[in-house]
Amino acid sequence: MKRLPLEGVRVADLSMMWAGPFATMRLADLGAEVWKIESPSAWDNIRTLVPQPGVEEPWNSAYYFNAYNRNKKSVTLDLGKPRGRAVFLDLVRHADVVIENYRADVLDKLDLGWEVLRAANPRAVIVSMAAFGKSGDDAALVGFGPVIELMSSLAARTGYGDGEPFKTGISFGDPVAGTVAAGAVVLGLIARRRSGEGCVIDLSQREVAASLAGEAFVAASLRGEDPVHRANRSDRFAPQGCYRAAPSRVERGDAHDEQWLMLSCRDDADWRRLASLLGRDDLAGLDTKARFERHDELDELIGAYTRAHDAQALMERFQAAGVPAGRVLDTGAVLDDPQLLARGFWVQLPHPRMRRYKQFGPVYRFVEADPQLRRHSPLFGEHNAEVLGGVLGLSAAELAALTEAAIIGDAPINPGVG
Amino acid sequence: MLEVGGGIPAAFAARWMAGYGAEVVRVETDGPLGPLSADEAVYLLAGKRRTAVDGWADVADLAGFADIVIEDQAPGTLDVAALRAARPELCVVSVTPFGQSGPYAGYAVTNGVAFAMGGIMSLTGDIERTPLLTGGSAAFYLGGINAFTAALMAYYGRLVHGEGDWVDLSLQECAAGMVELYVPGTAYGQPVQLRTGNHVRAVWGIYPCIDGWAGAFCLERQIRGLFAAMDRPDLAADARMNDPVQRATPELDEELTAHVYAFFAGHTKAELLDLARRHKVPIGVATTPAELLDSPVLAARGYFESVETGEGSTARVPGRPFPGLGWRPSGAVSAIGELAAVRSAWSGAGS
Repeated sequence: MKRLPLEGVRVADLSMMWAGPFATMRLADLGAEVWKIESPSAWDNIRTLVPQPGVEEPWNSAYYFNAYNRNKKSVTLDLGKPRGRAVFLDLVRHADVVIENYRADVLDKLDLGWEVLRAANPRAVIVSMAAFGKSGDDAALVGFGPVIELMSSLAARTGYGDGEPFKTGISFGDPVAGTVAAGAVVLGLIARRRSGEGCVIDLSQREVAASLAGEAFVAASLRGEDPVHRANRSDRFAPQGCYRAAPSRVERGDAHDEQWLMLSCRDDADWRRLASLLGRDDLAGLDTKARFERHDELDELIGAYTRAHDAQALMERFQAAGVPAGRVLDTGAVLDDPQLLARGFWVQLPHPRMRRYKQFGPVYRFVEADPQLRRHSPLFGEHNAEVLGGVLGLSAAELAALTEAAIIGDAPINPGVG
Repeated sequence: MLEVGGGIPAAFAARWMAGYGAEVVRVETDGPLGPLSADEAVYLLAGKRRTAVDGWADVADLAGFADIVIEDQAPGTLDVAALRAARPELCVVSVTPFGQSGPYAGYAVTNGVAFAMGGIMSLTGDIERTPLLTGGSAAFYLGGINAFTAALMAYYGRLVHGEGDWVDLSLQECAAGMVELYVPGTAYGQPVQLRTGNHVRAVWGIYPCIDGWAGAFCLERQIRGLFAAMDRPDLAADARMNDPVQRATPELDEELTAHVYAFFAGHTKAELLDLARRHKVPIGVATTPAELLDSPVLAARGYFESVETGEGSTARVPGRPFPGLGWRPSGAVSAIGELAAVRSAWSGAGS
C-alpha cells in the first residue's frame, strides 16, 4: 500500500471553530497525525454550537464537529495554567507543525507567541490564521466567515442587482482560509527540507479570500470599476440564469420542496441546442448581442419550460444535448446525487456516540495512495494517554495529577451552548 | 511546473506556485473551463512562461521534464496514467467539474453551473427570490486553491516517500465537502436547509448603515460585547435578551432586530469598525476592491503587487496569499513563446 503523503507529520493543532479545523482536516485526511488540543474550560465551541437537548455528552456527538475533525486525535490541556502550558510546549518540541486560528492577540496573552514557540522548536512550521493577520489596525477585529466575505469584497460582488451585497449561506471565508492554510503548512514543510528551519506564516483570512477576486482588482485598478451585481446572469454568457423546476419527487423535507436549475449558454451553438429543446427553433438564430438584449424574454421562455419538468430530468436532457445545466443541489439532494454516489463520496463510519450517516470522504483523491476516512472525530480528551503518555512519556501518575488539577480531562467543564 | 490550463483552476493554482518560486510553464490550450477573460488573464498569467504547442504529444513531451503538472482539461484528454508510468516521481493534479469518473464526468459546465452542483448556492440568497450565485467565479477559484494545496501535498509526498501521485480533484466535491453544518445536519436527520438570506437572526445578519452595508455575526459569547458597542446597557440588563433560548423566539428576535437595525443605521462603516475593535465584536463592513486597494493596512502588509499588462498599463492585484515564505512578484504578463525555447531550457535543466 502506497503511503499517504503526510504520513509522519505531527501537527499540534490549537485551532477551533471552522477555518483552522478545516485546514487540519485536510492534513489529517492525507495522513498527518493531528493532535487537536482543547482546554477543559475552553473547548472547541463547534462541539456544542447546535443544542442537543436530552443528549448525553453532546460535546461528543455533534455532527458539525464530527464533519471536520475526523482522522484527528483529541488532547485536552488548559494552556492558561503553567503546567498545562509547559506540557503544550513539550508537545511543540515533538511536533512538525503548530497551527492556530485564535483572535490575533490570544496566543501572546497565553505567553505562547511566535518567539516562545520558535524557542521551543526552531524546526516547527507555525501557521497563525487570524481573520486579518497579526499586524496593522485590523488585527484587532474579530472575524468569522461572513465578516471575511464582507471585508474581502466577495459580498460586494454578490447580489440581486439592487445594491444590497449578499453573503453566502455558509461561513465561506472559513473553508477557503482553511484550504490555503493547509497548503501553507505543506509549503513550510517543503521549505524546511531545504533550510532545516521552520518558519512563521501569518495568514490573514481576509487576504486569502480577496485573492479569489483578482480580476475585480484588475478592473478597479485599471479602469476604476466598482463591482456590479448581476444576480445569476453573466457578463459573458446569455442566457444564463437560475430557473425554477417542478417540485421534486423525492419528498425529503416537504415544507421546503423547491427545485431549481442553473443554466448557461456559452455561445451560439449552445443557444441553438437549447432553443431546439425548448421547441423554439424560430429563435435559434439569435446571436449573443441579441440574447443579451432579450434576456428578460428568454428567461420567461426558459422558466415556463423548466417549471413543468423535473430538475434532474432537465439537467440530464440539456446535458445530453451539450448545454451546460446543473441542479441547484440542496442539502438533501446533494446526498442523493448520482454523481457523488457513483464516486463513493459519501461514507458511513462507525461512531461510539452517533448513529451512522453519510459523511463526505477525502476530497483530495490521490489515485494511488487512496486516502480514506479512517476514524470518526475524537471524543473529548480521548487520546490524552496515547499522546501525552506515548509521545511525552508522562506516567499514569502524572496524568492523574493533571486530571486532578483540571489541566486535562475527558469532559468540558460547565458545558453550555457555544 | 507545467500548467495545462484553459480556465481559472489550473491558472490560479499555478500562479501561486510561481509566486512561491516554482518555474511555471503554461501551455496555451483551449479547455472546457476557459477561456480566461482579459482581466482574469492579467491576474492569472503574470509571472509565467507561456508557450504554444502543436498537439497533445507536445504537452506530454514537456511533462517529461516537469515535477508537477496541474491541468483542468476534460477527463481523458491527457493520458495521465502513461505520464505517471513513465515517471513515477511526477505529481499530477487534474481539476475537472465532476472528477475523472461517474455519470457526469463528461458534463459541460460554466462557473455558475459548477457552483450550483456543489450545494452552497442552494443556501445563498433570499428565500423569496432565486438561489444566488456568489459573485465572480467562486466555483473555479475554489478549484484553484484546492489544486494548489493538493499539488503541494503530492510534491511533499514525493520528496519524503520518493513517488508522486495523481490527484483527481472534482469541483463538485470541493464544494460539497464545505457546506458547513448544513449538509452534515441533513445527513444526520435534520430537515433540508434552504437559503436564509442576509439575515439569519438579529445578531447574525447584514444591515444598511450610513454609507453602505455592514453586518454583525455574534456567537453567544459576543452578545454582551455587541450590546456594549450599541451603547445599550438596557439590553445588557434585560434577562430575556441574555437568554439564548428566549432571544431566539420570533417575537424577541424581531424586537432585537429593530434595535440592531437602528444601531447600524446610525453609524458609518468607519465608526462601526472602530466599535468592533474596541468591543471585540465580529462586525464587518461591505468593502469594494477599490477600497481594499486604498487600505493602509493591506499596503503595510505588502499584500498587493503590480502587474504589467503587456498593453502599456499596470494593474494592482493581490500578491502573496500569506507571508512568511518569500514571494516572487509576478511582474508582467509575458508574450506566448516558442515551444522549442522552453523545451531547450527544460531539457537542459533536466540534464
